[in-house]
Amino acid sequence: MGTTALKAPKRSGIEATKQFVYRYGLLAVLGLMIVYFTVTQPFFGTFINAMFILQAASIVAVVGLGCTVSMTVGGFDLSVGAAMSLSIMAAAAAMVVGEFSGTVAILIGMCAGLAVGVLNSILIVYARIPDLVATLSSLFLINGLTLMGVGGQSVAKGMVINGERTQGEFTPLFKWIGSGDVFSVPASVVIAATVFILVTVLLNFTRWGRAFYAVGGNPVAAAAAGIRVARYRIAAYLISGGLASIAGMMLAARSNRGDVNVGDPFLLQAVSAALVGYAVLGANKPNAFGTLIGAVFVAALINGLTMFNFPYYAQSFVQGVLLVVALLMSYTLGPSRR
Amino acid sequence: MTVGANTAPASPASSAFVAFEEITKTFGATRALRGVSFEIRPGETVGLLGANGAGKSTLIKTLSGIHPPTSGRIIIEGEEKDFRFPVDARNAGIATVHQNIDDGVVFGMTVAENLLLDEIATSQSSFFIRNRTIVERAREVQEKLDLDLPLNSLIQDLPASGRQEVAIAREISKNPKLLILDEPTSTLSKREAEKLFLAVEEFQRRGITILFISHSMSEVERLCDRAVVLRDGMIVSEHEKPLDSTAIAGSILGELVLASKHEARPGKEVVIEAKGLRAFPESPPVSVEIRRGEILGLTGLIGAGKTELLEQICGHRPLLSGTLSIEGEEYNPKDVSDAMKKGVVMVPEQRALQSMFPNEPLWKHSTIGLAEDFSRSGFMLRRREIAFTEDVIRDFQVKAPGPLAEIEELSGGNQQKLLVGRWLSRGWKLLVLDEPFRGIDIGARGLISSALRQYSEKYPVIVCSSDPEEVIEVADRALIMVEADIVHEDNSANLTAETLAQIMGQGREAQTTRNVA
Repeated sequence: MGTTALKAPKRSGIEATKQFVYRYGLLAVLGLMIVYFTVTQPFFGTFINAMFILQAASIVAVVGLGCTVSMTVGGFDLSVGAAMSLSIMAAAAAMVVGEFSGTVAILIGMCAGLAVGVLNSILIVYARIPDLVATLSSLFLINGLTLMGVGGQSVAKGMVINGERTQGEFTPLFKWIGSGDVFSVPASVVIAATVFILVTVLLNFTRWGRAFYAVGGNPVAAAAAGIRVARYRIAAYLISGGLASIAGMMLAARSNRGDVNVGDPFLLQAVSAALVGYAVLGANKPNAFGTLIGAVFVAALINGLTMFNFPYYAQSFVQGVLLVVALLMSYTLGPSRR
Repeated sequence: MTVGANTAPASPASSAFVAFEEITKTFGATRALRGVSFEIRPGETVGLLGANGAGKSTLIKTLSGIHPPTSGRIIIEGEEKDFRFPVDARNAGIATVHQNIDDGVVFGMTVAENLLLDEIATSQSSFFIRNRTIVERAREVQEKLDLDLPLNSLIQDLPASGRQEVAIAREISKNPKLLILDEPTSTLSKREAEKLFLAVEEFQRRGITILFISHSMSEVERLCDRAVVLRDGMIVSEHEKPLDSTAIAGSILGELVLASKHEARPGKEVVIEAKGLRAFPESPPVSVEIRRGEILGLTGLIGAGKTELLEQICGHRPLLSGTLSIEGEEYNPKDVSDAMKKGVVMVPEQRALQSMFPNEPLWKHSTIGLAEDFSRSGFMLRRREIAFTEDVIRDFQVKAPGPLAEIEELSGGNQQKLLVGRWLSRGWKLLVLDEPFRGIDIGARGLISSALRQYSEKYPVIVCSSDPEEVIEVADRALIMVEADIVHEDNSANLTAETLAQIMGQGREAQTTRNVA
């Protein structure tokens, strides 16, 4: 085995093509798709439409980056949608009912997300419940708690509690997250880009990122190399919950209301973006850039297809096709394991 | 030492219950068994001994129908048998209790259900199984075997010895003619093992033939009428009662070429002092001094408690008892990270499980425990990491395409060169290597040995191996562990094959001499 590795890589044409598709296949498809849409639909290639696409991708990207972090430690966070819903409700209620400022509301929302992370950490790291089962139960717990907290109704300006009309409303700062812009780039895109850069730096360039991947790759060996496995798993779930809460506030600011369980669909979207990301640049593991591409890919695809009057009810199908193609790339074209 | 008297082919008139005739077994290019012939007579207990990889497990598997032999004959009660599946062996009256207890019981089921597993799993049982019927049947089995098991408890609520008792009881309940016990005490505590021995002695009284596989001389001495030693896939000796444990140990170890290739260095000041440590909670306390300028070798048969002791020193498991100090200062590692911060690092025994990250490149492996040396304010210095990896590859002659290659691309020896070499880049208060030469070629072994000799000029090193030859090759001073106690200490140059065999053959009560020249 050791000697074969030393031989000059003399690959056949098929092998080389396979390697190319494995590494660049998904990016190439994305590029071709954008070119095709731009040529056939003049509006697709405009700056405004590009911002539409990125805005559509931004929330999925932020939640997906959180999922990516929990996946690097070998975990899986099913509670991100519920964490989003909880922080939406917490932040909305802080402003509408509590009449707090936007800054305080944002802090309260983020604390709610981190609290979900704490709950998951306790269940997974201390109670040793398997990740999937633990986060599934916190999904239900948190969703139920959110509903009970607001009596099953949406939180919006002028809502009625105990027969009294509330006086608070969404503050301008908070609204800016949803509708503001920086040099005509929507604020949510700026936030998502910032989160992306931070997660990329954390995972790819710091010692903590190295430890995250080590814990996910082989927890026994990571512990033997002096990595405190429990701490990194806790950190990963805190980051996952925290990013879910940021995404939640991006969503609440867009609609200026806190609707019940609006976070739910984002769980599957985010997980799918992170999984599509495995196939980007042949990473074959959770990675920040891949997750971003996964989120943008879906948004661009749906945006373009809509211009061709593609029915909205077929979106799930399109997403499914993308996920299957991406997974086929990582699992069938990837380097064969002995 | 050669094969004993039983080389004549077994005839139908032979009194043997089982006769192996020229059994060979090859796996690809590996010859695990190379013509094994011996007999087990009815009613006797035969001990099967041998070092790791000697072929014990393979031999048992040919008899229990898991791996049919490549060639040769297995004759049971004068009749040649062709075991293709475990059920064939079972039908011939052979029951096997495998080494890992928990492979023999089903968690989540009660003791009664586990006792009757075969009945439940086969077509003998009706479609609907009533719990009351099972308990009744289990009670019958229990009465027949004169056991007292908590039938309604879940199997996982029993201690290890209890689970083992259930696994053995199930095999016994099938009225086997031959019971194979594969290292039955390897996961038991001393007290639990004692209970097992009493049970085995009861089976012996009932006339059940037993094949007992063990690493422990004292167990074999106590239970077996005869012992057979396997080495390199061949029977190298047979021993009749009274068993001569020194001869058996010598036979297991083989023709040792015990010549240390170097002068034994005296060692300088004591760096680490361990007092009153215990390998297992009920084992005797041991004390060790580790000096600068020497390699301390630790050897002993498998299960002697070597790894358990070292893992406590390196923070892999909490200290059971006693105290540790580094350069006079108290040292009690909370975990591996803490131990490494205080300068103690270990190369663990199981390379793939404890040291390797699948699909990750060499350069990440080489710096994984050294993040502080290769980062600035938290940011990894990738260029420096790769340069360091290139140095390790060059200095330790690691055959690898380059620092970007994935670790699985390398052979075992080259993986080990990298994994050991990376730690030698800086001086540790203590470097511990547990079985560093397992599964690697002679070239890699020689290279790692000489690198360790050079490194140990300045820093203390412990090398642990169950193969005394490896210890003597690299160490200056050798400690020998028997039954969790350090029973002998000597300059490795003074050790001979005879003394080693004698020490390992005798129990720990026999002698506690620590002669340092």
